[in-house]
Amino acid sequence: MFDRGILLQVLWTSLATASFQVLLTIAFALILKVTKIWNFTQPALMGVAFYAMYVALNWWGAPLPVAILVGFLATAALGLVIECVGFSTLRARGSESITFFIFTLIFAQFVIYVLTLAFTTEPVFMLANMMSPTMLVGDVVVSTWDLHSILIAASLTIALLLFLRFTRTGQYMIAVADNADLAEVYGISKAQSYALAMLIAAIFITAAMYVFGSKLAVYPELTLHMMIFAVVSTILGGIDRVFAAAAAALGINLLQQLSVLVMDSRWQPLIVFSILFIAIVFFPRGIRLPARRVADGRAGTPVLDKAAE
Amino acid sequence: MEFVGSILIQIGIFTILATSFNLIIGYGGLMSIAHPIFFALGAYGSGLLTQATGVPVFAGIAFGMALATVASVALALPSLRVSGDYLVIASIGFQLGLLQIIKNSEWSGGPGGLSNIPPLLHAVGPAAIWSYVAIVGFAAIASILIVRWLVSGDYGRAITAMRDDEEAFKGLGHDAVRLKLVLFGIGSGLAGLAGGLYGHYFLFVTPEQFEILYSAAMLTMVVVGGIRTVWGPALGAVLLQFLPQAINFLKLPSSVTGPLQGILFTGLVLLFLFLRPHGLLGRAPGARAVVQEDDPTEASVK
Repeated sequence: MFDRGILLQVLWTSLATASFQVLLTIAFALILKVTKIWNFTQPALMGVAFYAMYVALNWWGAPLPVAILVGFLATAALGLVIECVGFSTLRARGSESITFFIFTLIFAQFVIYVLTLAFTTEPVFMLANMMSPTMLVGDVVVSTWDLHSILIAASLTIALLLFLRFTRTGQYMIAVADNADLAEVYGISKAQSYALAMLIAAIFITAAMYVFGSKLAVYPELTLHMMIFAVVSTILGGIDRVFAAAAAALGINLLQQLSVLVMDSRWQPLIVFSILFIAIVFFPRGIRLPARRVADGRAGTPVLDKAAE
Repeated sequence: MEFVGSILIQIGIFTILATSFNLIIGYGGLMSIAHPIFFALGAYGSGLLTQATGVPVFAGIAFGMALATVASVALALPSLRVSGDYLVIASIGFQLGLLQIIKNSEWSGGPGGLSNIPPLLHAVGPAAIWSYVAIVGFAAIASILIVRWLVSGDYGRAITAMRDDEEAFKGLGHDAVRLKLVLFGIGSGLAGLAGGLYGHYFLFVTPEQFEILYSAAMLTMVVVGGIRTVWGPALGAVLLQFLPQAINFLKLPSSVTGPLQGILFTGLVLLFLFLRPHGLLGRAPGARAVVQEDDPTEASVK
C-alpha cells in the first residue's frame, strides 16, 4: 500500500493539484497583506472568472487565449468595483471590521446567487474535451495538465516575487502594506496600491480558475468551499507572508492527498477544517521557522529576518 | 387558516434566529457565519434524541439548545483567545465541516435528511396549529425579552464598553473573552431552540436547509430590521417571510425562485449597508441626541 511508486505518484499529483490552490492562496494573502481586509469576496471573483471564460468558450466560440483574457477582464472589473466602490466607501466612513466582514461575505453570496440564476447549480466543464494526454516518467503518470498547471503556478509566483522585490511599484505596495499612512507621507498613493493588489489578485484568480476548470467541473457554490483552503493556508503561512502562505497551501494539499491512503475520500475535506482549528489554536500567527543565527550565536536582526521572509 | 398559522410559526422561528444573531453580531460585535449550523444542531440534536430515547419533546429541545451552546463555546473559545477576526474564519470552517459530517453520516440520515421526528403536539387540525403558534410566539417574545434584559442596565453598559473599546474595557480589569463567550453561547443556544421548534414542527430536516448561504437570510433580517435594536430583527423576520411569498406568487420555476430569493436577501443587505446602515428601526449616528428608546444599550449609556 505504501510502496515507492504510489508515494511518488501521490507527491506528483499533489504538486499538480496544489497549483490552483497556491494561486488562490496568493490572491487571498496578497489582498490581506496590502489592504488588511479578509477578502471574502474572493468566491465571487472566482465564480466570475470561471463563468466568463466558460461563456466566451462555449457560447461565443472564442479561442482559449481570448476566453482567458475575457475571464481576466471580467474579474479585474469586478475586483475594481469591490475595491473602489465597496472597500473605499467603508474605509472613508471608518466602518468597523464587522461591517467589512458583512459586506465581503454577503457580496460573495450575492454574486453566487446571480451565477446560480444564470447557470443553475449544475456543475459545468469549461472545455469540451477534459482528457489530458499522459506519459510515464519512471513509475509516475504525468499528464499535460499537470505540467501546464505547475508551470502556470510557478511562473506567476516567481513573477510576483520579482515584481514585489525589484520594481518600484511593487516596493510601493510593500510600503503601503507595512504602513499605509506613512507611505502616503512619502507620496505613495495607497488607493493605487489597493487597486493594483486587486488587479494582481484578479490575474492569479483567473489563472487558478483556468487551471481548475480545465480539469474539473464547477458550480457557483463550489467557489465558497474552495476559498476556505486559501484562508487556512494564509493563517498557517502567517498573515502578511504571501509566499509562506503559498508554501502552506502546498503542504496542506500534500497532507490531503496522502490522506487517501488511510481514510475514505468523502472525509478528505475535513482535513482542511481540522487544520484550520489546529492553526487557530496552536499557530495563530502562522508556522515560523526558528530565527537564523549568525556566526557568533546571536539571532539575526529583525530587519534581515523580515527581508528574508 | 392552516397556511396563515404556518407562516406565523415560521415568523416566530425566524424571529428567534434573527434576535439571537443580532445579540452576537450586533450587540456583541462578534462576526460569525455559523448561525445556520447551531440552528441545525438544535434540530438534529432534539430530533435524534427524541427519536432514539423517546424522551419528551421539550426535553429534546432543551438538549438541542444545550448542544448548540456547548458547540458554540468550543468554537469560540480558541478563536477569541487570539482575536475576534479569527472567529469569523473559524465559524466558516465549523459551518462547512460540521455540515460535511451531517451529510456523510448515517446516523443523521445523510444527504436525504432526518425524517420521522416526533411532533411536539400529537393533536392534528387547526387547534394544534394555533397551539403551536402560541408556543412559538411565546418562545419568540421570550427570546426578545431575554436579549433586551441582557443588553440593558449594567450588563448592557459592559457590552457596549467591550464592543466600543475592548482595550480600555480590559484595562479596567474586565474579562472581554468571557463576556463574548456568554453572548455567543446564549445567542447560539437560542438558535438551537429555534432549530428544535423547527424540527418538531416540520418533522423532517435535511442538511440543505442549514447551508452557509442561509446566513445571508439571517443577516438580512438583522441588517434590514436594524442591527443593535431589540425589535428590528423581529421586523426583519416578518418582512423576510412575506417577500418570498410575493416571489412565490409569480409562479416561477423552483430553479429560479431559490436564487431570486437569495439575490433579494443579499441585495437588500448590500443596499442597507451602504444607504441605511442602521436599518429600518435603528437611528443614524447623527440622531443620537435623542435617546434611542429601542436600543436599551444606548439608552443606558446616556
